[in-house]
Amino acid sequence: MSSREKILAAVTANQPAKVPLPTVPFFEGDASVEKFTTLVQAIGGRVVEVAALAHLEEVVRQLFPADYRVASPLLSSANVSVDAQTPLAVLADVELAVLQGEFGVAENGAIWLPEENMLHRALPMITQHLALVLSRQQLVATMHQAYARLATVGGYGTFLAGPSKTADIEQSLVIGAHGARSLTVLLVP
Amino acid sequence: MSHSERSDIFLLDAERTTWHDETLWFVREKRDKAVYATPEFQELRQLASDIKDHTLSRLDFYLQQFEENARRNGVHVHWAVDAAEHNAIVLGLLRQHGATRVVKSKSMLTEECHLNPHLLANGIEVIDTDLGERIIQLREEAPSHVVLPAIHLKKEDVGDTFHKYLGTEKGNNDPQQLTETARQHLREKFLAGQVAISGVNFAVAETGTVVVCTNEGNADLGVNLAQVHIACMGMEKLIPRLSDLSVFTRILTRSATGQPITTYTSHFTRPAEGKELHIVIVDNGRTQQLGRPDFRASLKCIRCGACMNTCPVYRRSGGHSYDFTIPGPIGAILSPNIDMRKHASLPFASTLCGSCTDVCPVKIDIHTQLYKWRQVLGEAGKLPTSKKWSMRLLSRVLAKPGMYSAGGKVARQALRLLPHGLTHGQGYNPWAIARELPAPPQQSFREWYAQQPQNDKA
Ligand code: SF4
Repeated sequence: MSSREKILAAVTANQPAKVPLPTVPFFEGDASVEKFTTLVQAIGGRVVEVAALAHLEEVVRQLFPADYRVASPLLSSANVSVDAQTPLAVLADVELAVLQGEFGVAENGAIWLPEENMLHRALPMITQHLALVLSRQQLVATMHQAYARLATVGGYGTFLAGPSKTADIEQSLVIGAHGARSLTVLLVP
Repeated sequence: MSHSERSDIFLLDAERTTWHDETLWFVREKRDKAVYATPEFQELRQLASDIKDHTLSRLDFYLQQFEENARRNGVHVHWAVDAAEHNAIVLGLLRQHGATRVVKSKSMLTEECHLNPHLLANGIEVIDTDLGERIIQLREEAPSHVVLPAIHLKKEDVGDTFHKYLGTEKGNNDPQQLTETARQHLREKFLAGQVAISGVNFAVAETGTVVVCTNEGNADLGVNLAQVHIACMGMEKLIPRLSDLSVFTRILTRSATGQPITTYTSHFTRPAEGKELHIVIVDNGRTQQLGRPDFRASLKCIRCGACMNTCPVYRRSGGHSYDFTIPGPIGAILSPNIDMRKHASLPFASTLCGSCTDVCPVKIDIHTQLYKWRQVLGEAGKLPTSKKWSMRLLSRVLAKPGMYSAGGKVARQALRLLPHGLTHGQGYNPWAIARELPAPPQQSFREWYAQQPQNDKA
């Protein structure tokens, strides 16, 4: 008997009588920009309001005045081109990635970022700084609404909530463990 | 060594014990704040518990559904009956790809299977990439907590460790600077990792997806840079539907650290173009636990660590005193299932105060199960000796009311008259090692009760 069969046989023999699967209610809540902004700040990110999509380049330039190596499908000023085949050495040098977030969750400040919006699966984590563009119209209150919006999670996707952080040394919070050192949410109309 | 003997070692440093206790209580308080700020938290706990109960009751179906969907997504699924098979599968995959090193993100399952020493013995370099895991890996220690693996260490300890292995300046104990050093050091390793191993927090049957939750982003970075991703999961990680994640992502970190969600909650369904994703489903004693009606609920555990942070025994005895991969209250339930003799003292490492049960986000009746393990161990003749004889004597006395009240009378007198050195002698009365005895009352409750006029000859 293969291990698979052995395990499945043991499970079938040992599992209890069937109990029903509950329906999860659609818990509502506050889906306001204010709530979302408060949460993003609480988890170490910042929110910047962008008056119109046309101002995006200019706002990014103001926020990141240094001469960064930028990867982005949204900015014509991006100077590093990244796709799924980009060599690691090039990826490792990206200092700023500006990517499109699909929607935000007000209860925890998380933003859904599917593979299609990442250029490369590792880009959101390997870049030194990350900015996510998000429409103010695209906010939901809770994770229940969030998953309800996802017909599929695709090949890979992440709910990204703030910059990378750790508290592994004596519980002191340090921002910038392995992933991006900062997260900026660019809220567009 | 029993739990109490190990904790004696931990308790030698009283100051550190107090610090450990306070640090974990601080985490528990953060949990409380997050929980009170979530109006439907109690409903979510019930839902989580019910979803897990249902999944366990149809686990054979969900395992197969998960496997089928994962395969359809181009994922390789492996099955391991025990730790040895799990380790062999991982090693085999590494060999197949000619890999000599592997980057790993945190996984209690690989700890449970002792994967690192196995790979090391076979010439593979293993780099743990979670900061806490990396710290204890450099120190050649085991994690002492499921969420906070290095919670037993002070920043001075980490400073010394980094000085020794990563060349930081001696006396540099600044968490910010130490973390930065680790970031640089690990970045090189990430970029050179051919194969990456991750744990699994949840596995979704209806889509064949595995979900990995981290704050540092080390799992994502590792597996997204490597050619091959091996995800190792205990079979109890399954949940039926994608939408069930809404419940579990809401309770996991709120219970663990008081955060509203982890920084990265990542869903892996298909390997990236030209890359490989392998999932190893591990039993290693779980089917046996499933067959124990009194203890199967322990398989609902989502490893948030809340029961550890709240447990007065864990907080004051440290994770290493449990000598088991999962310490604390839940570990004390899981460990006798694996080895009843070796871990016989763990179900006694509890005050049965029930605080663990109160905080558990999936409503495992932890303290009841600890109590039940004590019965099972007693019947199997595996009681720790310190308990065995005193319990036997006590049960005889309690069975005879006359003897009990006579004993009480003698004790009340004796405690007043005997010298302190005798009543508190460590050899005779281990209870009094760190406590004072209360002053003996003048009379017993029975005597007092009999004296009450309205109770005369009632
Ligand atoms: S038993 Fe409950 S409280 Fe303890 S780690 Fe598991 S889920 Fe968390």
